Amino acid sequence: MTELHANPEDFDLYALDALDGEEKAAFEAHVRTCSACQHELRQARQRAALLGLAEAPLTPPSSVKAALMRRIHAEKAASDRQIVPDRKRKASWGLRFSMAFAAAAVILAVAVNWLWQQDRRHKEEIAALQAQLDRAQAQAAQDAATIRAINEVVAAPDTVHVALMQQAGGPPGQAHVLFNARLGVVVYSGQVAPAPADKSYQLWLVPATGVPVNAGLVAANQQNGAVVVHLKPGLTAKAFAVTLEPYGGMPQPTGPKVLVGALNG
Amino acid sequence: MTAPMQPNLDSALIERMMSGDEAALSAIYDRYSPMLFGVLMRILRDRPAAEEVLQDLFVQLWRNAAQFDPGRGSLAAWLLIIGRNRAISRLRERTNREVLEETEGLYADTFVSDQNIEEEVSRTELRGRLVAALSKLPAEQRQAVELAYFEGLTQSEIASRTGSPLGTVKTRVRAAMQSLKQILG
Repeated sequence: MTELHANPEDFDLYALDALDGEEKAAFEAHVRTCSACQHELRQARQRAALLGLAEAPLTPPSSVKAALMRRIHAEKAASDRQIVPDRKRKASWGLRFSMAFAAAAVILAVAVNWLWQQDRRHKEEIAALQAQLDRAQAQAAQDAATIRAINEVVAAPDTVHVALMQQAGGPPGQAHVLFNARLGVVVYSGQVAPAPADKSYQLWLVPATGVPVNAGLVAANQQNGAVVVHLKPGLTAKAFAVTLEPYGGMPQPTGPKVLVGALNG
Repeated sequence: MTAPMQPNLDSALIERMMSGDEAALSAIYDRYSPMLFGVLMRILRDRPAAEEVLQDLFVQLWRNAAQFDPGRGSLAAWLLIIGRNRAISRLRERTNREVLEETEGLYADTFVSDQNIEEEVSRTELRGRLVAALSKLPAEQRQAVELAYFEGLTQSEIASRTGSPLGTVKTRVRAAMQSLKQILG
């Protein structure tokens, strides 16, 4: 290792997501272009991941697996149902009824069996639909609350609009923020190039004084699905920024600014 | 240095899962849930939260099975990395927010591990070596590593928490991880 490479102490710290501040930015900038340090970092990540293995295994309650499998089964049933062509299903029904009318006693037994199977299938479908409905209702309630918040912010005369622009040397992208300080609500929409798999984009309110306020993670493509963030009312913002952070975000910005927009005046 | 990937049980189970086989997911859950739940409980210290993160982790695996490439990394490592990230993220969650549409990243850039942690026997043996290695570390070194891994603290936060200079924290983490490297070979 020569002086041209990253500080040896930083590899393990970075692999543990513990490196912060300017050191982290400098480390990332160097590793991006140094294959020897990329190899060293890979080794450090392997060591860090293994730490989890040292923890004693703990069997989760059986209810967790039961809930997981119910959830998966309902998703699969809903997915399977969507790809069954309606015409095929109708033809199958018609054929079965024709056969039922064509035969007598045997058909009665067949029909009873068929009805029993249909009943069972319908119950399964109802269970899957109920699960789907529950999810849809929960989503609808969340969407409605979000839309109400967006409408309130849009209608408010004291709402400000901020355009967030890409930074030199950074990934391409653009975003918009509607901010109402009185309500403490931020509405974010926009698009930026996808983040690396181990990174997340994070939105920050940069106040007139003090440290940036975490406004949560944002997806790379937030064009068609705005994010509504509720912050403490009364914050005075001088800018908004999106930074590239370790997966899951950080309490304070540590990564490069990707999008920045200042408030007018 | 890295052993070539052999077709293993995980690969077979993932392949079956891609064709919609729920039993394959059930088998993967049985293989890895105790390992993951132990880590999640240590990080979150909250049973309902750990159970929720565990369930979500396997739902994510089910939904994204088609993107899993055994040649890119081990399933156990991927589950450990993503599980820890989710738990730390949850631990640090502070902002009440609503998201209409979430586009979560698919598989993280996991690694082809030098350590074979796919098989239960190897995993148990490796765990024994890790526990022994950690127990031999000086207390302050072990504390620094554990604060980073299990509590998600940065070096500055560790320095603040332990009242140690930043340079000392760096040295302790480096020394601890190098000791593990030597012991694990």
